[in-house]
Amino acid sequence: MDLGFALNRLAVATAKALSADVVAVLLPNKAEDRLTVVAAYGIDVEEAEKLLATLPPPIDDAHPPPLPGYASGVCVRLRSGELPFGLLCAYSRHPRQFTPDHVEVLRALADLGTALLQAFEETSTLTQIDAAKSRFIHIATHELRSPITTAQSLVRTVLKGYAGSLSKQQEEIISRIARRLDFLETLVNDLLDFAASKAPELEEAASPVTLNASVGRAALLLQPQAEEKGVNLIVHPCREELAVWATEDSLDRIFTNLISNAVKYTPTGGEVTVSLGRAGEQGWVKVTDTGIGIPEEALPHLFEEFYRAPNARQFAVGTGLGLVIVKELVERYGGRIEVESQEGKGTTFTVTFPLWHPED
Amino acid sequence: MAKILIIEDDPDMVTALRLPLEAEGYEVYVATSGQEGLEKVKEIEPDLIILDVMMETTTAGFQVSLQLRSPDPNSEYAPYRDIPILILTAIHTTTSLRFGPDEAYLPVDDFVDKPVDPEVLLQKVRTLLERAKS
Repeated sequence: MDLGFALNRLAVATAKALSADVVAVLLPNKAEDRLTVVAAYGIDVEEAEKLLATLPPPIDDAHPPPLPGYASGVCVRLRSGELPFGLLCAYSRHPRQFTPDHVEVLRALADLGTALLQAFEETSTLTQIDAAKSRFIHIATHELRSPITTAQSLVRTVLKGYAGSLSKQQEEIISRIARRLDFLETLVNDLLDFAASKAPELEEAASPVTLNASVGRAALLLQPQAEEKGVNLIVHPCREELAVWATEDSLDRIFTNLISNAVKYTPTGGEVTVSLGRAGEQGWVKVTDTGIGIPEEALPHLFEEFYRAPNARQFAVGTGLGLVIVKELVERYGGRIEVESQEGKGTTFTVTFPLWHPED
Repeated sequence: MAKILIIEDDPDMVTALRLPLEAEGYEVYVATSGQEGLEKVKEIEPDLIILDVMMETTTAGFQVSLQLRSPDPNSEYAPYRDIPILILTAIHTTTSLRFGPDEAYLPVDDFVDKPVDPEVLLQKVRTLLERAKS
């Protein structure tokens, strides 16, 4: 609902309650330092503006600015707690006496109008803050990533010998720089993903998307990584299309994160199995690995920002943000995430989403 | 040897691309904005273009590729339509923007992810040049 519509409803309600012929809502126009008519009943806003707005606001409540052609009027302040205040004015064509009861009703309506104006102002401030936050994340993404990826590219060029040959020691040191930069890149990506996951307005609009396609893409993306490590990545596809209400980007992030974690924490020779299916009105995806597992005491902290289980710290580098992002995204689209694990044996993450039906 | 035009506004990234390309014996030319890139395409008539997406604007690279691949037969870039284009991307923006080598949306031939691995770069350059010859 927009503010203009809401204020027009206020004007109509006021006219009915007071049996008035004309109602005008005036608000201070800060740029021009005067009152302007923003909504009216029984008269055009432009016409009311011509007749009323040039006049100075009345000193007290009881006497409205005179409206030519209308014999009686009554008026109360809008936003009376603040200066400059606005006005809610009611007029009658024929001479009549507005009673204290009328004024009381008018004041109650003006209070409602004041609350309405405040609510709209707060919402618009929040919208502006959200937009600024989104802009910041977009800029930060490019500005933070860009120097890192350039430095990584330069270091790789040097390491591969394209800037002349390196001594054993130089190569060793530059390799360390490369590893540090790679970690910095991961950290920045995770931080930005994390910030973005807290800013749903950054996302494209949700629509029906299938778990099948997203799981397929994620597995395809991570297959080379698994092969390189000697981890067997198996996907058991599901014939049935499992459509859920989400965005492709979020689903891709969820499954890429879960599968890449599974590959990362599974030693060479191990196995990562991804399966999906339907249980009643729910679509589920399971990512099971034969990796290092999660110690029981670590399970309650798994979805805490920057938390990493002690055995994970020893096994591989990471930021402790991946699962936080996954959980945030899963829950945004009405899903659930569960984990079962046995230290030294392996881990299973199960994500379930309510299935989408065309009639929803 | 083949002529390669790099359109990229970050001089350090240019170095990272130029060194392996020159080591392979390619003739390397550089433009540091989309506009300069378009001018150099006409001047140099390169065999392959390496294009960054985000330069003076976040979509400057897209504009360049759209101009070069304009379907209009009277376009001033019509003679350069078939030059292969290799675009530089950050995989992160790729997942959220969802562009693929799709003629209708973004007319390019292949992608190189940032950070650039010199061997991946050279492999893609070789493949595109061979494909263009045949």
